[in-house]
Amino acid sequence: MIGFISIAVIAALGFAAINYFAVKKMDAGNDTMVEIAGAIEDGAIAFIRYEYKVITVVAIGIAILLSLVVSWQSAVTFVLGAVMSASAGWIGMKIATLSNVRVSNTARETRSIGATLKVAFRGGSVMGLCVGGFALLGLGIVYFVFGQLLGQTSPEQLTIHTNWLGIADIPFTMTVSGYALGCSVIAMFNRVGGGIYTKAADMGADLVGKTEAGIPEDDPRNPATIADNVGDNVGDVAGLGADLLESFVGAIISSVVLAAYMFYTGSKTGHPIDPDLVIKLIYFPVLFASIGLISSAIGILTLIVRKASTHPHRELNVATWVSASMTLIAGGFFTWFYFKGSDVAQIGFKAGILSPWIAAIMGIISGIIIGQLAEYYTSYDFKPTQKIASSSKEGTALTITQGLAAGMTSVFAPVVMLAIATIAANSVAGLYGVAMAAVGMLSFVAATVSVDTYGPIADNAGGICEMAKLDPEVREITDKLDSVGNTTAAIGKGFAIGSAALAALSLFASFLYAQRGADIDEGFTLILNMVNTMTLAGALVGAALPYLFSGLLIEAVSKAARSMVQEVRRQFKEYPGILTGEQKPDYKTCIEISTKGSIREMVLPALISVSMPLVCGFIFGARYSGRPSQRYSRSITRYTH
Amino acid sequence: MIYYYLTVYPMEALIASQLEPKKFASYMALGSRKGSAEQLIFITVKPDCTKNIDWEHAKEHCKTKSDGTLKNSVYLSVYRVLEHIPLEALETCYLVTRDGLSLAIEKDNSGKGKTQAPFHLYQEICPVSPLAVSTLHPTEFADHIINGNGKISLPAMIFADMQVIDFDDMKNSGNVGGFYDHNIEHLKECLLQIQSAEGKKTKIVDRSYASRFTYQVIGTGIFAARGKEMVCFPMPSHDELKKIDYDWGRSALIF
Repeated sequence: MIGFISIAVIAALGFAAINYFAVKKMDAGNDTMVEIAGAIEDGAIAFIRYEYKVITVVAIGIAILLSLVVSWQSAVTFVLGAVMSASAGWIGMKIATLSNVRVSNTARETRSIGATLKVAFRGGSVMGLCVGGFALLGLGIVYFVFGQLLGQTSPEQLTIHTNWLGIADIPFTMTVSGYALGCSVIAMFNRVGGGIYTKAADMGADLVGKTEAGIPEDDPRNPATIADNVGDNVGDVAGLGADLLESFVGAIISSVVLAAYMFYTGSKTGHPIDPDLVIKLIYFPVLFASIGLISSAIGILTLIVRKASTHPHRELNVATWVSASMTLIAGGFFTWFYFKGSDVAQIGFKAGILSPWIAAIMGIISGIIIGQLAEYYTSYDFKPTQKIASSSKEGTALTITQGLAAGMTSVFAPVVMLAIATIAANSVAGLYGVAMAAVGMLSFVAATVSVDTYGPIADNAGGICEMAKLDPEVREITDKLDSVGNTTAAIGKGFAIGSAALAALSLFASFLYAQRGADIDEGFTLILNMVNTMTLAGALVGAALPYLFSGLLIEAVSKAARSMVQEVRRQFKEYPGILTGEQKPDYKTCIEISTKGSIREMVLPALISVSMPLVCGFIFGARYSGRPSQRYSRSITRYTH
Repeated sequence: MIYYYLTVYPMEALIASQLEPKKFASYMALGSRKGSAEQLIFITVKPDCTKNIDWEHAKEHCKTKSDGTLKNSVYLSVYRVLEHIPLEALETCYLVTRDGLSLAIEKDNSGKGKTQAPFHLYQEICPVSPLAVSTLHPTEFADHIINGNGKISLPAMIFADMQVIDFDDMKNSGNVGGFYDHNIEHLKECLLQIQSAEGKKTKIVDRSYASRFTYQVIGTGIFAARGKEMVCFPMPSHDELKKIDYDWGRSALIF
């Protein structure tokens, strides 16, 4: 089993390496293009270095805490998760900053949208394959070292242990949760820090440059324009990649944790599960994800090798659908062989040995539909966006109102889709099925992240074309690719949120099992009692947390953006030659403002998000913490009981 | 060397300057202390073209400063300038964007007013700035305003004809920004009135529309008329503009 995971990891990371060097050896264009791309790369690297320094301190603190409060194994896997996620983010951002200028140059040399699309997608595929590859590499190490060598996945160790603090858990569940938590911490920093960075730079560039000074997007006279392009990389490449990696790992570990508790509960309540079967259940999500990773590599390859048309969106969709279809077909055969001969009726699988596969299909189909819904709500080819554009004729207020209305309406259909997938998956394979639906949805994450990462690369390429004053025909090619990228970015977010919702149910179940600890006996049922005042109070506070978190983040963006606005104004005032093109703006200062501002401003929201479940859990008890708002918070909460 | 510039938008003035046109455009749009961002249109003028301007004043005051910097501007006249400048003295028209980029369009007498549209939309730029619809083509329109039988007339005028879109297919009628989104029903009513048999040939849509004027909507070009004469500064097509000055097109929100 570990061998198969290794093959998938080697295939993915090997393919990523081939694509990395293939892009790197391409010509970067003329001196101006190289200079601009160099400035973007330097800015992105400076941000990631600064951020990773902060993360290192935080991660060491959490690791020490975990080793004291939970176990040394959790601390080690936490560090492993952080390293894997950080590595994927670093490589992804590195390739994005190498690809952008090569995409511009390909457009310049070939004047072909198909050829240019391939370079952008090839660059994006490095991030996608690294997300899938590093996630499974880390999980493979966890399974091999802690599961096999240290025996944590042996039936004897799949029992509740209580540590010196009285915290009861099944060791392997804590080990894999530690890994997921490591990924979550990086995701939080990369997503939130990168998000603040990119929005602060974007607002600074737009509010002063475009609105006040009247200069166009990506004009080299704008001091914040390089920071804006850096932001695309740190926010939309490193941030999104780490986010989806965390979701991917979270989906897998939720199935694993659930399987472990199902086994323990069964043995304590007189309905023992065959130990061989539970081992299969623990390994199945990772193996299924490995199939998805190999399928994604093939899907990515189809776009790279075949003749690309002039319809970038169609090409990107084909790559995603090939990956999903192959995962679906190969996953079916694999499931049949894997569970062949197992008595799955004992764990409530209603559709025989193919039950978990059917559940995963629910996730895959709902993922594809959610992706299509995201496209429907964000592409100008469809009514919601057209209505927003149309309402802008009547003024700013109506544009905002229509935009808010479209945004809020867009939530409903995907949530209904998730509800259907949850019920369907549960009906064939119980809660394990729901967890498998989350795994299914993200099984071809390498392909979806590749498509997502293509977007900011194309965006940056457009920026470089503008700043380097390339021919309008070249700029039109990158603009077209960029506009498609805006939609694909929304699709990626849909996958991340959708899978998180599916994984949440199994994490709830795991939480309740963990909360019960060793006291599970005959008649135990999973109930989250909303009539319990502590649970209800926890639910209310938990539901309010995302608003507090979002409010603080928006304020953080506002503060960082204000500094950027002031800096751009200062430069225009103190260096009159900037606007006339006689002086070069000071791009570096703007980059520094965004970098320091984003890390500084994210501290409070991050602290609240991480500490709230812990604080509430210790003060008010387990029932209060039964409804924390963030997935990583849920991971942390489990350590408190 | 002294250049003479007739600014026609947003204000009418004759300015002498040592700055060559592109630099003057940048200076006027951005200001010397770079606090402003103003769109403007000006036309270069041959010196000594009329006796009504004190050209000697320009020669006396428009001199290089002691530190070697060029004199940015010496105002020779504001208000009622255009009517005193002969059309043959007008040379090149410059359309300046808020960020100081300028597009030079040369005078062309050969193609003036050659349009076949059933109606026209005119933005009068100088000396007054109403938005008008008319069934008259540019030459006739200018003649109607300057030499018409009406009580109100102008001695000279600068105006632009605007791109006319297909109201039944607005989405595909051209990139004209938000121009037609503002009070379109009123515009349609005005068009109906001038196209009806008994209606007027010209109707004011908006008394002062200059603040909303954008380069996105310029159709054939900018026209200057005086007496019975008219000259045209033809606007390049989008394809031509891409070749001539793509960056100006982006600053003007055309691309």
